[in-house]
Amino acid sequence: MATLTVPNPVTDKAIAALEQAIGKEKVLTDVGARVARTRVPAPFPVHRFAEHMPDVVVLPESAEEVSAILRIANQYRVPVVPRAGGTGLADGAVPLHKGILLDIKKMNKILELDLVNRTVTVQPGLNMLKLNEYLAPYGVFYPDDPASYPVSIIGGRIGTSGWSLIGSRYGHTRDLVISLQVVLPTGEIVRLSDGGGAPKVRKASTGYNLKQLFIGTQGTLGVVTEATLELFPKPEAELAAFFGYESFEAAYRSTGALSTSGLGTLAAVILFDERKVEYLRRDDEAYIPLPERIKAVVATALYGVEEEVRAAANRLFKIARETDGEYLGDELSAGDWASRHDRYATPLHGRLPDGTVVPMSWHCEDAAIIYSELPAIKQKWHEITDRYIQKYGIFDNWGMFFYSNNPYKGWGDYLVEIDIGIWEQALNEETWQAWVNLKREITRATLEHQGSISACHGACREGDAEFIPVEMAEGGFELMKRIKRLLDPNNILNPSKNFLHLAYADEEVTP
Amino acid sequence: MSDEIRAAMPEVSGNGHQDVREVESEFVRGHLLQAYGCFSSGHKFCREVCPVYQVTRNEQHTPTAFHANVVAMEKGAARLEEVADNYSYCTLCGGCELRCPNTLFVGDFYRNRTRTVKLVQDMRAAANKAGLGLWPRWQRWVEATMVGKNEPVLDYEQIRPVDPNRVADWAKDLPFEIPRGGENILFVDCEAAYYRTSLPKAVAKILHAAGVPFGLMYEQWCCGGPSLEMGYPDHARYLAEHNVADWKKAGAKRVFVLDPHDYISFVDMYPQFFPEEELPEFVFMIDFVAELLDQGKIQFVKPIEKTVTYHDPCRMNKRLGKWEAPRKILRAIPGLTFIDVDHVTQWAYCSGAGGGFAVEHPDLAKKIADLRIARAKELNVEALVSACPWSERPLTSSGREQQLEVLDLLEMVAEAMGLND
Repeated sequence: MATLTVPNPVTDKAIAALEQAIGKEKVLTDVGARVARTRVPAPFPVHRFAEHMPDVVVLPESAEEVSAILRIANQYRVPVVPRAGGTGLADGAVPLHKGILLDIKKMNKILELDLVNRTVTVQPGLNMLKLNEYLAPYGVFYPDDPASYPVSIIGGRIGTSGWSLIGSRYGHTRDLVISLQVVLPTGEIVRLSDGGGAPKVRKASTGYNLKQLFIGTQGTLGVVTEATLELFPKPEAELAAFFGYESFEAAYRSTGALSTSGLGTLAAVILFDERKVEYLRRDDEAYIPLPERIKAVVATALYGVEEEVRAAANRLFKIARETDGEYLGDELSAGDWASRHDRYATPLHGRLPDGTVVPMSWHCEDAAIIYSELPAIKQKWHEITDRYIQKYGIFDNWGMFFYSNNPYKGWGDYLVEIDIGIWEQALNEETWQAWVNLKREITRATLEHQGSISACHGACREGDAEFIPVEMAEGGFELMKRIKRLLDPNNILNPSKNFLHLAYADEEVTP
Repeated sequence: MSDEIRAAMPEVSGNGHQDVREVESEFVRGHLLQAYGCFSSGHKFCREVCPVYQVTRNEQHTPTAFHANVVAMEKGAARLEEVADNYSYCTLCGGCELRCPNTLFVGDFYRNRTRTVKLVQDMRAAANKAGLGLWPRWQRWVEATMVGKNEPVLDYEQIRPVDPNRVADWAKDLPFEIPRGGENILFVDCEAAYYRTSLPKAVAKILHAAGVPFGLMYEQWCCGGPSLEMGYPDHARYLAEHNVADWKKAGAKRVFVLDPHDYISFVDMYPQFFPEEELPEFVFMIDFVAELLDQGKIQFVKPIEKTVTYHDPCRMNKRLGKWEAPRKILRAIPGLTFIDVDHVTQWAYCSGAGGGFAVEHPDLAKKIADLRIARAKELNVEALVSACPWSERPLTSSGREQQLEVLDLLEMVAEAMGLND
């Protein structure tokens, strides 16, 4: 059995072909261009920076140019890694085998606004805030609202199957994309919608539901070059309410009651555990101080027309009260919710076990876990993290969030996040391996509790990726491999991501 | 041409070149902590507000890249000479610093804020110190400034020096004489003194009408700010030293400043060169006019029947947090319909003229100006008002193409005071 061979480097001939296909000015080979597109947000193995530098950067502006690039990549058998905003938290856009870095940011045009049918068609390089600035005068908005809302771009949201903070009311990225134009790894340009091919039809039973297949691929299966998106009326009313609890257990029970309230305007339920509250007290000077008796917090948000939100607020407060929640006031609720995009970016600093402040990078696990398993996961993840903190001294535990994870409803499974600070400057090969082992233990706990490794970031990183075959052991990963090989016979697109090098394990394939 | 300029140049320290590896290690040391702070933040909120990125959509022209390069250099994945040119793609407007989560949420904790403007300036200086020769137009610009003692604003093509003896020619046909020296000095920016001469005339008339005694410098030189921005800090200092000495000779206690770029040089750069007690008080003319209005020392007697919007100069709004006075003035002008775009939205706006950008990258600077005018056009106004002469030249040129008038706020003040009749 042959194994994956070392990918071909991008030769001068390949570069000349790219230049001829899309124009010299859109093909960049200088170090500045390449080094800027080597990484996504930390932690990143900084000590291995050079290993991930692409050989060449291309900046296409159309589906035809993307297609030409992919055809050249097939001809020369070199990898292509698509890159959108480069703000993903799971290395989806980090080149594992160098090659061609395909940056879609120049494709940022708004192609068509259809107010009658409530759609907007865009190129994938557009940022959501910019789209909503454009939409504002028309009274509609595109509600995909990640913490990185002011910077991340639509193509990356589709590539990772993103999660939106207000998704329990409006749906997440995959629910908000009506149809896609995709360039396949071999260069064909296809149009796919939900069960058919009509660009503005949301639901059809005409054919396979191929749209969803191309959402969340981390750029391993195609490059999205156009998307038709859902528009909602701009909400008339928005209400954020934060409640405090004297124990995590009480807050957990209240989360369940609030999530299953059946309120249609409920956009989010977010549970902060006692370690998160402790961390905010300790190191986040922007957080409004809470009374000491408060050990856990539940944040909720309602969006909709005014009459609905008013009525829902009464019910929401009643449920919270009956489940031992204490309203934390308008200032904290409105203020913290309004600054959510900045707040969840998190900090520049953390603490070593002895309390010393050092600059730290933020890492965030994002498993999807069903409600019944949340307390057990919380306990295990903290235990694992604390053990590594004690042993290696370069990590910090910033507590956990549990976010409602389902479109159009609050209940079911939760995006479970543990935020861990890493003293990146102190990373070396040994501590990096320790870090990966920490991630592995967290992933094992997730799988033991019937969870999925990633709710929205993707399972691309070491410590996650090798568990995809484990999570999808009942034939799912086998099917993924077959699809990958069918669509990408030469293993051109983002090779080795999601452990998909296994798709080619039984034959000699370059790359 | 360039040889001729060089022959006439004064000796300024920093003309010699240092080993690039030494320069790199000094640069990396100085910025590493900040660079890791940026590197570690997932949220690049700086990006979509960046005027350069908005027109290039090129990730290497972002504050993220500027910081990540420092980490890459530390790790040996890039060399200074390989990444330095990227740092010319910046107007030094400072919008990114305001939107940085590290500034917003942990700034107080550390008494720290992200200083991308300084990072970019330092890289430009480092590249020049290492003699990389990346930016010939900036080099010529600074050389010509050394010879003309003022920026070569009359010749963007050949970058020929101006005649330093003509720095006060704008005042020649005023109906009153302006003395030299005195406690109150009017400092007239290079662009205004040589190119937009209608501006200093308007300012002189305002001061005269308000009964504020003032004089001009014996020999006014460039504030030095652009030399610093183009990576020539020693040249900046050389110019600054002259000006401070001139003020001392004049007995200046207060310097009126009509241009935001001069103003930020005086309040930000000069205190790094000179002890505070050696410097006069610097008064931005827009602030002063708002004060005179408040005190009833000037009146607007002549209506200006126009619908306008306002362009916040980056140095004032983004770098110094000053945005209220111009709005107050605009609201006080009779006949004027003022459609405001708030100063936070304008964090993402720029004319493209600052930071030497228009000298080194004129085509991209034009795109930025075009975008600014297009945004004003969407408001259905007749004119865009600015308070920065550097912005007014590119904006006027883009405005001509898109049929939108561009006005200067202080010139409008003089008009509303009836001083042009």
